[in-house]
Amino acid sequence: MSATNTLSTASATSVKSGTGKPATRRQKRDWIFAAGFLAPFMILLLIFQYLPLLVMARNSVYDYSLLNPAAAKFVGLRNFTDMIEYEDAAVSFGVTFLFALGVVLFVIPVAFALALFLNSKLPARGLVRTMIMLPVVTSSVVVATMWSFLLDPSNGLINGVLNIVGIGNQPFLTSTSQALPALIAMTVWQQVGFGAILFLAGLQGLPAELTEAARIDGATRRQVLWNVTIPLLSRTTLFVVVIMTVFSLQAFAPAFLMTQGGPQESTNLIVYHIYNSAFIMQQAGYASALSVVLLLVVLAISMAQMALLRSRWNY
Amino acid sequence: MNACRLFFAGLLGATALYGTGAVAQDKAAACTAETVTLRILRTPGNYPYPAPMEAWQKENPCVKFEINEVPFAQLADTISVQAASSHPPDIIVYDGPNTQSYAAAGILLPITKYLPREWDADILPATKAEHSYEGEVYSPGIEQTTVAMYYNKTLTDAAGIKPPQELKDAWTWPQALEAFKACQQGPAGAPTVWGLGPTRFGNGQPGLVYQDLIYQRSAGDPKAAPESSAYKTFWALSPDGKSVDGYLNTPEAIEGLKFYGSLFNKEGVAPKVGIPNAFFDSKACFYIDTPAAGSALLKDPKIEWGITPIPYFKSPVVHTGSTTIGATARSKNPEIAAKFVVDMSWGEYAYMNVSQRGNLPTLKSLFPRFEVYNGYPMKVFVDQLQEWGQPRPPGPKFAQYDKLVTDALRAVAFGGDPADLMADAEKKVQRVLDR
Repeated sequence: MSATNTLSTASATSVKSGTGKPATRRQKRDWIFAAGFLAPFMILLLIFQYLPLLVMARNSVYDYSLLNPAAAKFVGLRNFTDMIEYEDAAVSFGVTFLFALGVVLFVIPVAFALALFLNSKLPARGLVRTMIMLPVVTSSVVVATMWSFLLDPSNGLINGVLNIVGIGNQPFLTSTSQALPALIAMTVWQQVGFGAILFLAGLQGLPAELTEAARIDGATRRQVLWNVTIPLLSRTTLFVVVIMTVFSLQAFAPAFLMTQGGPQESTNLIVYHIYNSAFIMQQAGYASALSVVLLLVVLAISMAQMALLRSRWNY
Repeated sequence: MNACRLFFAGLLGATALYGTGAVAQDKAAACTAETVTLRILRTPGNYPYPAPMEAWQKENPCVKFEINEVPFAQLADTISVQAASSHPPDIIVYDGPNTQSYAAAGILLPITKYLPREWDADILPATKAEHSYEGEVYSPGIEQTTVAMYYNKTLTDAAGIKPPQELKDAWTWPQALEAFKACQQGPAGAPTVWGLGPTRFGNGQPGLVYQDLIYQRSAGDPKAAPESSAYKTFWALSPDGKSVDGYLNTPEAIEGLKFYGSLFNKEGVAPKVGIPNAFFDSKACFYIDTPAAGSALLKDPKIEWGITPIPYFKSPVVHTGSTTIGATARSKNPEIAAKFVVDMSWGEYAYMNVSQRGNLPTLKSLFPRFEVYNGYPMKVFVDQLQEWGQPRPPGPKFAQYDKLVTDALRAVAFGGDPADLMADAEKKVQRVLDR
């Protein structure tokens, strides 16, 4: 509350009421310095983020091949209507949403449980912290290659373990029903450490007096966790959910390296589909249209998540 | 003082000698015109090789080379990007079946007028078909490959199998399946020694058009009536490259694909994923590969081996193809680039390039010079190439066709329904062809 007040006061004194312009020479100088510091980043952001977005939006109404972009043909909204007319876009978005849902649903509870463990005084915390962070810092290419070997339907390590417990060989990446769950499992394994570290940071930022007060009032550990810790961590949870959702919607390496979108498009994640449309199918305009839709979808999902999971508690 | 005079005299003499070019290098002395730099984009370890390039430079001393290399997996993407840039390469070494795509997109320069008069009679028909588009030749081709079936002689002998060695005795696929089953060791689907080993191409998974479209094509008949499904099955794409409707999803193709799918599923004689070096480590009895595998085994005979012709259903067929070389239409020096491309693929330069890697030449006149291809086992490749060789269905949208049909074939190998998958593939390919 006090921080908000300070900011409001500073804001009110630094700006002439109604005009938004600096009032004094010093304030003008501060504005110039601020603009100077921000300019390099803003220019790069403009050139490498927003300008390409505009070019992408423009390209989405053209039909052209990367082999001969000079022969681009204006097609209006045809690339967008093609997404409705043909089922590839719907299938790919559907697969991607399932993938994102699977990743988020598994990462959040597992990462939270790991964070609780890492925040406790139990032994081997350092070792566990290193273990769960290793997949996060390992290249996606290495992880995908390693999991391809693990999931080999004939000689993979996972099938070896299943055989020991009496379960027959599973097809995993070559099965339409098992390929996507296999990719979700791999991504959860890789991302759970990142989620755990974020939750751990949130847990360590909680004021100890609130849990202590709850305990003095007679709350059990479970009640403290459910009624105090989890509600107070809602901002962190929101952040982890949004980050994991965006990561999942942008996933490319698993589909590219492990399944090439197959079998039968069961793992045709949208970013891989966009790559495929542009570089293999030589439909760069259609790929741009898919990218525009993906951008809007990611924005919409993130905004919806922020609205639904908005923090109702402050400390 | 004398020493000083002597020094200046020496300096003057040296300057005069240098000015006349008496001590200049041969190359610099011979180049009297403006120097031209040809930019070449190729894959590592691919032609044009240093020896023929250096020999060519002696005849063309004003030409220099700037070589850029990218891995084969990124070659098509790189060409897509660089071809449209303001400074495209002058010469590209690319995957041969893309010739028509690149020609249609205006990337390649037609080289028909630069070819020697004897070229037409000397070139393999499959190579010429693959590298021509709308009556013009866009690449002369340097080397050619095709696939045949290798076998581990120790394993086949132990199973009492004698694979045929000549085309006239070639197995049908059902006969080959019996051999796979007889030679395989261990349970179907998870043996210790596979009947048919995995491909070394791509990520080792089945389905590649180059290797696996021949199953259904061989169920067709090129001599049948053009409107018949047997004829369409064999060609797998309309002659003008604009229609695939009724070419992939035919009764003959589906029968062939049912058999193909059974190898990986019901019969369990072929793995669904790659196993590095399975054949060379005696983990597979049979194995389909190009002459590259034979060349490697001739140099380092890890196993006792032989080659048998590719089996078939009704019409024997093997796909041809290799990387090839072309001059770009937007080259700043198209005449020189075209001359270099044609020279590298003709006569002694062609021999120098082909002999480097051990693949087959595209010129019939060069075959006798490669002794290894004059007798069994490598002669099987030459015979197949000349008698059964067909390019992969050529068309200006080959890359897209290749990707979509490969996905469908892979799905069949993974247990999908051939009729559904081929109907879907036809729909998707036609969508691309119609755009």
